[in-house]
Amino acid sequence: MQDANQGSVDPEFQQGIEDRESSPHEIPSLPVGQWLRQNLFSSWVNSVLTLFGGFLAFFALRGVLNFVFSENRQWDAVRTNLRALMTLSYPESQYIRVWVSLGFVAGLAGLSAGLWANWGGVSVKRVSTWLMGTGGLLAVCVIVREPSVILGSDGKVVRTLEGSLQRESFLDAMVNRSSWWIAAVVLLVAGIVLWRRFASATHRGSELPVTSVVFLGLGLAVLSLWIAPYGHYAFISETKSYVAESGRTVAFSTKLPWTVMLALLCSFFGLGRLLQRSEYGGLIKGASNLLWLVSPLTLFWVVLRDPALDYGHVISTDLPMGLAFGALGGAVLWSLTRTGVGEAGRLVATMLLGFAIFNWVAAFFGWYPMLQKARISFLLLAFAALLAPNFMGEIAKRRQLVLGWLGVTALVHYLATMINTPSTVEVQSSEFLGGLGLTLFVALIVVLLSFPLGVLLALGRTSKFPIFRMLSTSYIEVIRGVPLISVLIFFSVMVPLFLPDGMELAELAAVLTGYTLFSAAYLAENVRGGLQSITKGQYEAADAIGLTAAQRTSFIVLPQALTVSIPQLVGQVISTFKETSLLAIIGLFDFLRVANSVIPAQSEFLGVKREGILLVAIIYFFFNFTISKYSQRLERRVGLGER
Amino acid sequence: MSTDDATTAANDRLADREDMIVCVDVDKFYGDFQALKGVTATIKEGEVAVICGPSGSGKSTWIRCINRLEVHQGGDIVVDGIELTNDLRNIEKIRSEVGMVFQQFNLFPHLTVLDNITLAPIWVRKKPRAEAEAMARALLERVGIPEQAEKFPGQLSGGQQQRVAIARSLAMEPRVMLFDEPTSALDPEMIKEVLDVMKELAMSGITMMVVTHEMGFAREVADRIMFMEGGEIVEVGTPEHFFTNPTEDRTKLFLSQIL
Repeated sequence: MQDANQGSVDPEFQQGIEDRESSPHEIPSLPVGQWLRQNLFSSWVNSVLTLFGGFLAFFALRGVLNFVFSENRQWDAVRTNLRALMTLSYPESQYIRVWVSLGFVAGLAGLSAGLWANWGGVSVKRVSTWLMGTGGLLAVCVIVREPSVILGSDGKVVRTLEGSLQRESFLDAMVNRSSWWIAAVVLLVAGIVLWRRFASATHRGSELPVTSVVFLGLGLAVLSLWIAPYGHYAFISETKSYVAESGRTVAFSTKLPWTVMLALLCSFFGLGRLLQRSEYGGLIKGASNLLWLVSPLTLFWVVLRDPALDYGHVISTDLPMGLAFGALGGAVLWSLTRTGVGEAGRLVATMLLGFAIFNWVAAFFGWYPMLQKARISFLLLAFAALLAPNFMGEIAKRRQLVLGWLGVTALVHYLATMINTPSTVEVQSSEFLGGLGLTLFVALIVVLLSFPLGVLLALGRTSKFPIFRMLSTSYIEVIRGVPLISVLIFFSVMVPLFLPDGMELAELAAVLTGYTLFSAAYLAENVRGGLQSITKGQYEAADAIGLTAAQRTSFIVLPQALTVSIPQLVGQVISTFKETSLLAIIGLFDFLRVANSVIPAQSEFLGVKREGILLVAIIYFFFNFTISKYSQRLERRVGLGER
Repeated sequence: MSTDDATTAANDRLADREDMIVCVDVDKFYGDFQALKGVTATIKEGEVAVICGPSGSGKSTWIRCINRLEVHQGGDIVVDGIELTNDLRNIEKIRSEVGMVFQQFNLFPHLTVLDNITLAPIWVRKKPRAEAEAMARALLERVGIPEQAEKFPGQLSGGQQQRVAIARSLAMEPRVMLFDEPTSALDPEMIKEVLDVMKELAMSGITMMVVTHEMGFAREVADRIMFMEGGEIVEVGTPEHFFTNPTEDRTKLFLSQIL
């Protein structure tokens, strides 16, 4: 129901929304002089404020530029360590795994983008404004930056007799920066040409598709790999340190893979566009959504980690167990969905649930051994059995449930087998992935897992049943009253101590669990805000047409509540992403820690921190700004704030 | 006004019909305030009953008790032979037989008109989607807005929204329709289009309870008019009796103010 609704939005309505987005009321633009007078210098107070603000901006910009281009900066530290910043010490010989994972993600992203192809466009006017703005800013930057320090023939700074630095003259500086000038002028001219040609009254509405703009940008980025030399490092095992490797650049080892990534993205995008119109469009959309859900786990534990499968064990134990659960569970579910099963079905389901829960209790006290995946399977089977009454009757529906069960069993057993098998990849740090890769992985998993949990908690807190309300409220309040760091430390240090014999939790898994539980409590509060915005009339209308409480929640209340809370939810996603940098405290090598402690420890770049941290900040900003922009787009699209 | 009068004052046309809604001594409290004081009435199958009275007289509360949007504290309500108790199964059964139209429409703003109408038939009546959609389009035809099926409620006028709400209720093929001031939130020029739909519905023989201030509608369509004040049914009668020859002083006062 939900998918069908979102998928089949009336094209006319969609068109209406796009029109609104692309052509806001045109306000005739004023001549520059008048605009300045009206907006910046309308009274003497405003003039003073404008001048003051202008000075502030000037000095801030100058400070940043002087920092970036200072003769003291060692940008080589970042250029050399690009790979360390992305994946830390993932071994060179296994690197193909990283590329395979990335390729998978690129293909999937392209496919989804193509399937949900309603990305709208950017007006030419806006593109030309961007170009002109960037060109203008670049020109200003070139002028504002202090003239460079003069270097002697030995590459050292030259000092005057009094000991102060000697700088080149302003004119020399301008001449020396001619390449920057050229770039600024090119951008400005491109912007003006676009504006003149297309921003006339007749062309004002003309648009470039967002996707082609994005692909163009990515294409330029990949092209830069073929032109500009990026750095490379080598890991010296005797001294356990990284050193820059001269003569080789990352660009040469990565330009081909990145080109393949781009090709994958583009071709799968095209494929998605084609499939979107075919009759299987809905099915493929569902499949791609499912792939998104399972891909983080699968990629991390299966592709990146290289499990060394013991095929004897697989054939003797894992495979038969999976088949047995699939077949027997399927048979149980098939018989539970017979029309005449009545109360007996509910009884069987309850007994299964009891048995499944008892298994976990027994595991905790160590009464009898059982494979973890058997425990998980029994629990899942009990849940499926509880769902059975919804699939009663027609053969097609019963088949749906059984097929669903087989799919879940296959996935769970596959993952359990893979995760339980040790990795053969040898790495230098405690985790085999670090840097940006680890940061993104943790953020993605935590967001994916905490979302359903948060929604359930919010529903629990607003539920009519006192026990649910009490449990959720106390959970949320306890978690919100505790700092994230203490939760992380608790899960990485304390929880393993409480686990019974035979149960182990990897450092990363423990941290993910803790972080998910933490993030869910905050998400729950945001969703609750949305739930409270649903009027009483909506509940009454849903009741009056005979919906059950579960149907009312999933079709009427939640869709509206989640839509209303998009801004807060996106805020939560962004802060989850940023706070992954706290992982450094419990010993994981996240993105920030690589810049903050790995690079400065290298013999070549001892103590060189600032460059890396600036880059880290820029990349964090890039991701978060993109998310935030996308959410604004989403808000406009669902018409938030217009009702 | 005695109970006997209330139940027997219906038109002859309805004399041999079965009882559809039976209320006996229904009491409803909001804290200390008693909103309904022993309301007793019987609505026959196919009857159109209009309930009127000053605001705060308990009209809306009463019909909201009939599909359990409000819980009554005393007395009995029986709808089509099913007694309204705390038993969830009874409540669900009654709700799927009783349609309700609200003053504020209460359409689902995130669903298209078509999805608004097909939601309950698909998920409560378990109809196949194609069948439900065909029926929804037929209903939209019936209420006069077949061309709006793909739009969202926010894109429709008030009158159109209320007609969609009526279609949404009818999609459950109810035996009883409750109308809670269906035209009070509408601009004057839209009232007629909604009343026309309701008149057509009344002719089709469905049981209706209508809370409204539209006296023209009451005079034309109602089998019986019930006048409530202070949580009680003060007077019951045919439109003819009610408008030409009311017996109670309070009714006379009300009519003199409203007409």
